[in-house]
Amino acid sequence: MSTTSSYTAVTVESVVAISQDHPIAARDLAHACGVDIAWVAQLVEVGIVEPPKPASPPDGWHFYSDDLQRALEARRLERDFGVGLDAAALILDLQHEVRRLKAALLAQRR
Amino acid sequence: MEFKDYYATLGVARTATDDEVRKAYRKLARKYHPDVSKEADAQVRMRDINEANDVLRDKEKRAAYDALADRVARGGYAAGDGSFQPPPGWDEGFEFHRGAGGGGPADHADFSEFFSSVFGNSARRSATKQNYRARGEDHHAAIEISVEDALHGVQRDITLRALETDAQGQPTFVNHTLTVKIPAGVHPGQFVRLTGRGMPGHGGEPAGDLYLEVRIAPHPLYRVDGSDLYMTLPVTPTEAALGAQVQVPTPSGGVVEVTVPPNARSGLKLRLKERGLPGKPPGHLYLLLDIALPPADTEAARKAYEQLAQAAASFHPRRHLGVQGA
Repeated sequence: MSTTSSYTAVTVESVVAISQDHPIAARDLAHACGVDIAWVAQLVEVGIVEPPKPASPPDGWHFYSDDLQRALEARRLERDFGVGLDAAALILDLQHEVRRLKAALLAQRR
Repeated sequence: MEFKDYYATLGVARTATDDEVRKAYRKLARKYHPDVSKEADAQVRMRDINEANDVLRDKEKRAAYDALADRVARGGYAAGDGSFQPPPGWDEGFEFHRGAGGGGPADHADFSEFFSSVFGNSARRSATKQNYRARGEDHHAAIEISVEDALHGVQRDITLRALETDAQGQPTFVNHTLTVKIPAGVHPGQFVRLTGRGMPGHGGEPAGDLYLEVRIAPHPLYRVDGSDLYMTLPVTPTEAALGAQVQVPTPSGGVVEVTVPPNARSGLKLRLKERGLPGKPPGHLYLLLDIALPPADTEAARKAYEQLAQAAASFHPRRHLGVQGA
Protein backbone atom coordinates (compact mmCIF):
# COMPACT_ATOMS: atom_id res chain seq x y z
CA MET A 1 0.00 0.00 0.00
CA SER A 2 1.24 3.47 -0.80
CA THR A 3 0.50 4.98 2.58
CA THR A 4 3.32 7.26 3.66
CA SER A 5 3.97 9.27 6.77
CA SER A 6 4.68 12.93 7.20
CA TYR A 7 5.14 15.17 10.18
CA THR A 8 3.99 18.62 11.02
CA ALA A 9 5.11 20.44 14.12
CA VAL A 10 3.05 23.16 15.72
CA THR A 11 3.95 25.18 18.75
CA VAL A 12 1.07 25.94 21.01
CA GLU A 13 2.03 28.94 23.05
CA SER A 14 -0.34 28.25 25.88
CA VAL A 15 -3.26 26.12 26.83
CA VAL A 16 -6.14 26.85 29.13
CA ALA A 17 -6.52 24.69 32.23
CA ILE A 18 -10.21 24.39 33.05
CA SER A 19 -10.46 25.99 36.48
CA GLN A 20 -12.29 28.62 38.54
CA ASP A 21 -10.79 31.27 36.27
CA HIS A 22 -11.49 29.34 33.07
CA PRO A 23 -14.68 27.29 33.36
CA ILE A 24 -16.44 25.81 30.32
CA ALA A 25 -19.94 26.76 29.18
CA ALA A 26 -22.82 24.28 29.06
CA ARG A 27 -22.73 24.17 25.25
CA ASP A 28 -19.00 23.31 25.37
CA LEU A 29 -19.61 20.55 27.91
CA ALA A 30 -22.34 19.18 25.62
CA HIS A 31 -20.09 19.39 22.56
CA ALA A 32 -17.22 17.65 24.37
CA CYS A 33 -19.61 14.76 25.13
CA GLY A 34 -21.05 14.70 21.59
CA VAL A 35 -24.56 15.56 22.79
CA ASP A 36 -26.84 18.58 22.94
CA ILE A 37 -27.44 21.00 25.76
CA ALA A 38 -30.72 19.33 26.77
CA TRP A 39 -28.70 16.30 27.88
CA VAL A 40 -26.57 18.55 30.10
CA ALA A 41 -29.79 19.86 31.65
CA GLN A 42 -30.71 16.24 32.47
CA LEU A 43 -27.32 15.75 34.14
CA VAL A 44 -27.94 18.82 36.27
CA GLU A 45 -31.40 17.55 37.19
CA VAL A 46 -30.07 14.22 38.51
CA GLY A 47 -27.05 15.92 40.12
CA ILE A 48 -24.25 14.35 38.06
CA VAL A 49 -22.89 17.83 37.37
CA GLU A 50 -23.55 20.90 39.45
CA PRO A 51 -23.32 24.37 37.97
CA PRO A 52 -22.96 27.14 40.58
CA LYS A 53 -26.37 28.61 39.63
CA PRO A 54 -28.59 25.69 38.58
CA ALA A 55 -31.70 27.86 38.63
CA SER A 56 -30.43 30.13 35.85
CA PRO A 57 -30.98 29.19 32.16
CA PRO A 58 -28.54 26.55 30.78
CA ASP A 59 -26.80 29.16 28.60
CA GLY A 60 -25.58 30.84 31.77
CA TRP A 61 -24.18 27.69 33.38
CA HIS A 62 -20.50 27.02 33.67
CA PHE A 63 -18.60 23.91 34.68
CA TYR A 64 -15.20 22.68 35.86
CA SER A 65 -12.93 19.69 35.19
CA ASP A 66 -14.73 17.40 37.66
CA ASP A 67 -18.00 18.07 35.85
CA LEU A 68 -16.45 17.28 32.46
CA GLN A 69 -14.97 14.04 33.79
CA ARG A 70 -18.29 12.95 35.28
CA ALA A 71 -20.25 13.97 32.17
CA LEU A 72 -17.94 11.97 29.87
CA GLU A 73 -18.17 8.95 32.14
CA ALA A 74 -21.96 9.23 32.39
CA ARG A 75 -22.18 9.36 28.59
CA ARG A 76 -20.05 6.23 28.33
CA LEU A 77 -22.17 4.35 30.88
CA GLU A 78 -25.37 5.42 29.16
CA ARG A 79 -24.07 4.38 25.74
CA ASP A 80 -22.23 1.15 26.61
CA PHE A 81 -24.46 -0.21 29.37
CA GLY A 82 -27.76 1.42 28.56
CA VAL A 83 -28.13 2.71 32.13
CA GLY A 84 -30.43 5.55 33.05
CA LEU A 85 -28.88 8.74 34.36
CA ASP A 86 -30.06 8.09 37.93
CA ALA A 87 -28.17 4.77 37.94
CA ALA A 88 -25.19 6.45 36.26
CA ALA A 89 -25.13 9.02 39.09
CA LEU A 90 -25.01 6.23 41.68
CA ILE A 91 -22.28 4.34 39.74
CA LEU A 92 -20.19 7.51 39.51
CA ASP A 93 -20.50 8.13 43.24
CA LEU A 94 -19.50 4.54 44.03
CA GLN A 95 -16.61 4.71 41.56
CA HIS A 96 -15.39 7.90 43.21
CA GLU A 97 -15.57 6.27 46.62
CA VAL A 98 -13.69 3.14 45.43
CA ARG A 99 -10.90 5.29 44.01
CA ARG A 100 -10.71 7.40 47.17
CA LEU A 101 -10.49 4.33 49.40
CA LYS A 102 -7.92 2.65 47.16
CA ALA A 103 -5.74 5.79 47.28
CA ALA A 104 -6.04 5.92 51.07
CA LEU A 105 -5.16 2.22 51.34
CA LEU A 106 -2.14 2.70 49.11
CA ALA A 107 -1.00 5.64 51.23
CA GLN A 108 -1.25 3.56 54.41
CA ARG A 109 0.84 0.74 52.95
CA ARG A 110 3.71 3.01 51.99
CA MET B 1 0.51 -2.84 12.86
CA GLU B 2 -1.47 -6.02 13.44
CA PHE B 3 -4.88 -6.79 12.06
CA LYS B 4 -7.28 -6.82 15.01
CA ASP B 5 -9.86 -9.56 15.28
CA TYR B 6 -12.60 -7.69 17.09
CA TYR B 7 -14.87 -10.75 17.19
CA ALA B 8 -12.17 -12.74 19.01
CA THR B 9 -11.62 -9.84 21.41
CA LEU B 10 -15.27 -9.98 22.48
CA GLY B 11 -15.41 -13.77 22.17
CA VAL B 12 -18.38 -13.76 19.77
CA ALA B 13 -18.96 -15.36 16.37
CA ARG B 14 -19.02 -13.24 13.28
CA THR B 15 -22.69 -14.01 12.96
CA ALA B 16 -23.37 -12.62 16.45
CA THR B 17 -26.46 -10.44 16.76
CA ASP B 18 -26.30 -6.92 18.15
CA ASP B 19 -27.72 -8.26 21.37
CA GLU B 20 -25.01 -10.93 21.64
CA VAL B 21 -22.30 -8.34 21.00
CA ARG B 22 -23.79 -6.06 23.66
CA LYS B 23 -24.02 -8.85 26.21
CA ALA B 24 -20.45 -10.04 25.54
CA TYR B 25 -19.14 -6.50 25.84
CA ARG B 26 -20.91 -5.81 29.11
CA LYS B 27 -19.70 -9.05 30.65
CA LEU B 28 -16.08 -8.41 29.68
CA ALA B 29 -16.24 -4.72 30.62
CA ARG B 30 -17.28 -5.75 34.13
CA LYS B 31 -14.53 -8.36 34.32
CA TYR B 32 -11.77 -6.00 33.19
CA HIS B 33 -12.96 -2.64 34.53
CA PRO B 34 -9.78 -1.22 36.12
CA ASP B 35 -11.68 -0.17 39.26
CA VAL B 36 -12.75 -3.71 40.11
CA SER B 37 -10.56 -6.10 38.13
CA LYS B 38 -7.88 -8.21 39.79
CA GLU B 39 -6.36 -9.09 36.40
CA ALA B 40 -2.85 -7.74 35.86
CA ASP B 41 -3.52 -6.62 32.29
CA ALA B 42 -6.96 -5.12 33.02
CA GLN B 43 -6.15 -1.71 31.56
CA VAL B 44 -4.92 -3.08 28.22
CA ARG B 45 -7.76 -5.59 27.97
CA MET B 46 -10.30 -2.86 28.72
CA ARG B 47 -8.90 -0.73 25.93
CA ASP B 48 -9.14 -3.61 23.45
CA ILE B 49 -12.68 -4.45 24.57
CA ASN B 50 -13.80 -0.83 24.24
CA GLU B 51 -12.25 -0.61 20.81
CA ALA B 52 -13.91 -3.81 19.58
CA ASN B 53 -17.23 -2.65 20.99
CA ASP B 54 -16.92 0.75 19.34
CA VAL B 55 -16.69 -0.93 15.93
CA LEU B 56 -19.02 -3.90 16.31
CA ARG B 57 -21.92 -2.07 17.95
CA ASP B 58 -22.04 0.45 15.08
CA LYS B 59 -23.80 -1.07 12.05
CA GLU B 60 -21.85 0.93 9.48
CA LYS B 61 -18.46 0.46 11.09
CA ARG B 62 -19.14 -3.25 11.55
CA ALA B 63 -20.15 -3.69 7.89
CA ALA B 64 -17.00 -1.89 6.78
CA TYR B 65 -14.86 -3.93 9.17
CA ASP B 66 -16.39 -7.19 7.89
CA ALA B 67 -15.69 -6.15 4.31
CA LEU B 68 -12.12 -5.31 5.24
CA ALA B 69 -11.68 -8.65 7.02
CA ASP B 70 -12.93 -10.47 3.91
CA ARG B 71 -10.50 -8.63 1.68
CA VAL B 72 -7.68 -9.29 4.08
CA ALA B 73 -8.57 -13.00 4.20
CA ARG B 74 -8.56 -13.17 0.38
CA GLY B 75 -5.64 -10.94 -0.47
CA GLY B 76 -3.46 -10.81 2.59
CA TYR B 77 -2.73 -7.13 2.74
CA ALA B 78 0.59 -7.38 4.47
CA ALA B 79 3.47 -4.97 4.50
CA GLY B 80 7.07 -6.13 3.96
CA ASP B 81 7.46 -7.05 7.61
CA GLY B 82 4.29 -9.13 7.58
CA SER B 83 2.24 -6.58 9.49
CA PHE B 84 -1.19 -5.44 8.36
CA GLN B 85 -1.81 -2.41 6.13
CA PRO B 86 -5.37 -1.46 5.16
CA PRO B 87 -5.84 -1.57 1.37
CA PRO B 88 -6.45 1.83 -0.24
CA GLY B 89 -10.06 2.72 -0.82
CA TRP B 90 -11.24 -0.24 1.27
CA ASP B 91 -14.03 1.77 2.88
CA GLU B 92 -15.60 3.27 -0.25
CA GLY B 93 -19.34 3.21 -0.01
CA PHE B 94 -19.37 3.27 3.77
CA GLU B 95 -20.07 6.24 5.94
CA PHE B 96 -19.50 6.37 9.66
CA HIS B 97 -21.32 8.71 11.91
CA ARG B 98 -19.40 9.36 15.01
CA GLY B 99 -20.75 11.94 17.39
CA ALA B 100 -24.43 12.03 18.26
CA GLY B 101 -25.54 8.88 16.39
CA GLY B 102 -22.52 6.79 17.21
CA GLY B 103 -22.62 7.80 20.83
CA GLY B 104 -20.13 10.59 21.19
CA PRO B 105 -16.47 10.68 21.91
CA ALA B 106 -15.21 7.41 23.25
CA ASP B 107 -11.60 7.24 24.32
CA HIS B 108 -10.45 7.11 20.74
CA ALA B 109 -7.19 8.65 21.83
CA ASP B 110 -6.46 5.45 23.74
CA PHE B 111 -7.34 3.15 20.86
CA SER B 112 -4.85 1.21 18.78
CA GLU B 113 -3.00 2.27 15.69
CA PHE B 114 -5.13 -0.25 13.79
CA PHE B 115 -8.31 1.52 14.89
CA SER B 116 -7.08 5.02 14.04
CA SER B 117 -5.80 3.98 10.65
CA VAL B 118 -9.06 2.27 9.74
CA PHE B 119 -11.62 4.51 11.40
CA GLY B 120 -9.64 7.56 12.45
CA ASN B 121 -10.61 10.01 9.75
CA SER B 122 -13.92 8.52 8.73
CA ALA B 123 -15.98 11.36 10.14
CA ARG B 124 -13.95 13.86 8.21
CA ARG B 125 -14.22 11.96 4.93
CA SER B 126 -17.94 11.40 5.12
CA ALA B 127 -18.51 14.97 6.13
CA THR B 128 -16.99 16.31 2.93
CA LYS B 129 -19.71 14.57 0.95
CA GLN B 130 -22.47 16.42 2.70
CA ASN B 131 -23.49 20.01 2.62
CA TYR B 132 -24.06 20.96 6.22
CA ARG B 133 -22.64 23.20 8.88
CA ALA B 134 -21.29 21.89 12.14
CA ARG B 135 -18.50 22.63 14.55
CA GLY B 136 -15.76 19.99 14.41
CA GLU B 137 -15.75 17.18 16.93
CA ASP B 138 -13.67 17.55 20.07
CA HIS B 139 -10.77 15.22 20.65
CA HIS B 140 -9.86 13.67 23.98
CA ALA B 141 -6.49 12.43 25.18
CA ALA B 142 -4.60 12.09 28.44
CA ILE B 143 -1.21 13.45 29.44
CA GLU B 144 0.90 12.15 32.33
CA ILE B 145 3.23 14.55 34.10
CA SER B 146 5.33 14.41 37.27
CA VAL B 147 4.57 16.13 40.58
CA GLU B 148 7.48 18.49 39.84
CA ASP B 149 5.94 19.36 36.45
CA ALA B 150 2.61 20.07 38.14
CA LEU B 151 4.38 22.37 40.62
CA HIS B 152 6.40 24.34 38.13
CA GLY B 153 4.58 23.90 34.82
CA VAL B 154 6.12 22.03 31.91
CA GLN B 155 6.44 22.08 28.15
CA ARG B 156 5.64 18.75 26.49
CA ASP B 157 5.40 17.48 22.94
CA ILE B 158 2.40 15.35 22.11
CA THR B 159 1.87 13.58 18.80
CA LEU B 160 -1.56 13.12 17.28
CA ARG B 161 -1.81 10.71 14.37
CA ALA B 162 -4.36 11.11 11.60
CA LEU B 163 -4.92 9.42 8.25
CA GLU B 164 -5.38 12.15 5.65
CA THR B 165 -5.52 12.31 1.87
CA ASP B 166 -2.58 13.99 0.15
CA ALA B 167 -2.60 16.06 -3.06
CA GLN B 168 -2.43 12.90 -5.18
CA GLY B 169 -5.41 11.44 -3.41
CA GLN B 170 -3.31 8.87 -1.57
CA PRO B 171 -3.93 8.11 2.08
CA THR B 172 -1.14 9.52 4.20
CA PHE B 173 -0.45 9.27 7.91
CA VAL B 174 0.18 12.73 9.26
CA ASN B 175 1.73 13.05 12.70
CA HIS B 176 0.88 16.41 14.19
CA THR B 177 3.30 17.31 16.95
CA LEU B 178 2.00 19.93 19.33
CA THR B 179 4.27 21.60 21.83
CA VAL B 180 2.02 22.15 24.79
CA LYS B 181 2.77 24.39 27.74
CA ILE B 182 1.07 22.91 30.77
CA PRO B 183 0.64 25.66 33.36
CA ALA B 184 1.87 25.29 36.94
CA GLY B 185 -0.71 24.08 39.45
CA VAL B 186 -2.65 21.55 37.38
CA HIS B 187 -3.95 18.62 39.39
CA PRO B 188 -4.99 15.05 38.54
CA GLY B 189 -8.29 14.89 36.68
CA GLN B 190 -8.05 18.49 35.55
CA PHE B 191 -8.53 19.10 31.84
CA VAL B 192 -6.51 21.46 29.71
CA ARG B 193 -8.15 22.72 26.58
CA LEU B 194 -6.49 23.46 23.27
CA THR B 195 -8.98 25.50 21.32
CA GLY B 196 -9.33 24.56 17.66
CA ARG B 197 -7.12 21.44 17.88
CA GLY B 198 -9.97 18.95 17.42
CA MET B 199 -11.56 17.90 14.12
CA PRO B 200 -12.03 20.59 11.44
CA GLY B 201 -15.46 22.24 11.26
CA HIS B 202 -17.87 21.83 8.35
CA GLY B 203 -19.45 24.59 6.26
CA GLY B 204 -17.30 27.35 7.72
CA GLU B 205 -17.91 26.39 11.34
CA PRO B 206 -14.92 26.39 13.72
CA ALA B 207 -12.82 23.32 14.47
CA GLY B 208 -13.41 21.32 17.64
CA ASP B 209 -11.14 21.49 20.66
CA LEU B 210 -8.62 19.05 22.08
CA TYR B 211 -9.06 18.20 25.75
CA LEU B 212 -6.10 16.70 27.61
CA GLU B 213 -6.86 15.05 30.93
CA VAL B 214 -3.98 15.50 33.35
CA ARG B 215 -2.64 12.41 35.10
CA ILE B 216 0.16 12.57 37.65
CA ALA B 217 2.78 9.83 37.74
CA PRO B 218 3.42 8.10 41.08
CA HIS B 219 6.10 9.91 43.12
CA PRO B 220 8.49 8.33 45.65
CA LEU B 221 7.74 10.98 48.30
CA TYR B 222 4.41 12.58 47.55
CA ARG B 223 0.87 11.36 47.07
CA VAL B 224 -1.42 13.79 45.30
CA ASP B 225 -5.05 14.31 46.27
CA GLY B 226 -6.58 17.13 44.24
CA SER B 227 -4.32 20.10 44.91
CA ASP B 228 -3.05 18.67 48.21
CA LEU B 229 0.17 16.73 48.65
CA TYR B 230 0.75 14.08 51.32
CA MET B 231 4.18 13.04 52.60
CA THR B 232 5.24 10.61 55.31
CA LEU B 233 7.48 12.29 57.91
CA PRO B 234 9.59 9.85 59.93
CA VAL B 235 10.34 10.95 63.52
CA THR B 236 12.14 9.24 66.39
CA PRO B 237 10.19 8.08 69.48
CA THR B 238 11.98 10.83 71.43
CA GLU B 239 10.86 13.52 68.97
CA ALA B 240 7.31 12.20 69.03
CA ALA B 241 7.18 11.92 72.83
CA LEU B 242 8.87 15.14 73.82
CA GLY B 243 8.04 17.29 70.81
CA ALA B 244 10.66 18.68 68.48
CA GLN B 245 11.53 21.11 65.75
CA VAL B 246 12.38 19.13 62.61
CA GLN B 247 13.50 20.26 59.20
CA VAL B 248 11.32 19.28 56.28
CA PRO B 249 12.05 19.75 52.56
CA THR B 250 9.16 21.35 50.66
CA PRO B 251 8.08 20.21 47.19
CA SER B 252 8.84 23.58 45.66
CA GLY B 253 12.41 23.53 47.00
CA GLY B 254 13.75 24.94 50.24
CA VAL B 255 13.40 23.66 53.77
CA VAL B 256 10.97 24.64 56.50
CA GLU B 257 11.10 23.99 60.22
CA VAL B 258 8.10 22.11 61.53
CA THR B 259 6.99 21.77 65.16
CA VAL B 260 6.14 18.22 66.20
CA PRO B 261 3.89 18.56 69.25
CA PRO B 262 4.69 16.57 72.43
CA ASN B 263 3.00 13.16 72.76
CA ALA B 264 2.47 12.97 69.02
CA ARG B 265 1.17 9.61 67.80
CA SER B 266 1.97 7.77 64.60
CA GLY B 267 -0.33 8.88 61.79
CA LEU B 268 -0.77 12.38 63.19
CA LYS B 269 -1.41 14.79 60.32
CA LEU B 270 0.40 18.13 60.27
CA ARG B 271 -0.66 20.71 57.71
CA LEU B 272 1.69 23.11 55.99
CA LYS B 273 -0.71 25.68 54.65
CA GLU B 274 -0.55 26.39 50.92
CA ARG B 275 2.60 24.33 50.40
CA GLY B 276 0.85 21.91 48.04
CA LEU B 277 0.21 22.45 44.33
CA PRO B 278 -0.17 26.13 43.40
CA GLY B 279 -3.53 27.40 42.19
CA LYS B 280 -6.60 29.26 43.30
CA PRO B 281 -6.84 28.29 46.08
CA PRO B 282 -3.40 26.66 46.53
CA GLY B 283 -3.29 23.15 47.96
CA HIS B 284 -1.72 22.20 51.29
CA LEU B 285 1.15 19.89 52.15
CA TYR B 286 0.17 17.28 54.74
CA LEU B 287 2.84 15.51 56.76
CA LEU B 288 1.86 12.11 58.14
CA LEU B 289 3.94 11.26 61.20
CA ASP B 290 5.61 7.86 61.18
CA ILE B 291 7.45 6.90 64.35
CA ALA B 292 10.66 5.11 63.41
CA LEU B 293 12.16 2.95 66.18
CA PRO B 294 15.92 3.04 66.65
CA PRO B 295 17.16 -0.57 66.46
CA ALA B 296 18.12 -2.23 69.79
CA ASP B 297 21.36 -3.51 68.35
CA THR B 298 23.85 -2.20 70.90
CA GLU B 299 24.15 -2.75 74.60
CA ALA B 300 23.54 0.97 75.20
CA ALA B 301 20.37 1.00 73.09
CA ARG B 302 19.03 -2.14 74.79
CA LYS B 303 19.69 -0.60 78.17
CA ALA B 304 17.92 2.60 77.17
CA TYR B 305 14.82 0.61 76.11
CA GLU B 306 14.87 -1.29 79.40
CA GLN B 307 15.10 1.96 81.35
CA LEU B 308 12.19 3.33 79.32
CA ALA B 309 10.13 0.24 80.16
CA GLN B 310 10.82 0.71 83.86
CA ALA B 311 10.05 4.43 83.72
CA ALA B 312 6.76 3.77 81.90
CA ALA B 313 5.77 0.68 83.86
CA SER B 314 2.14 1.79 84.05
CA PHE B 315 1.87 2.07 80.28
CA HIS B 316 -0.12 -0.86 78.86
CA PRO B 317 -0.77 -0.57 75.13
CA ARG B 318 -2.97 -3.72 75.14
CA ARG B 319 -5.21 -2.71 78.04
CA HIS B 320 -8.20 -2.22 75.73
CA LEU B 321 -7.84 -5.88 74.66
CA GLY B 322 -8.58 -6.97 78.20
CA VAL B 323 -5.04 -8.25 78.84
CA GLN B 324 -2.14 -6.65 80.65
CA GLY B 325 1.58 -7.17 80.81
CA ALA B 326 3.48 -9.72 78.79
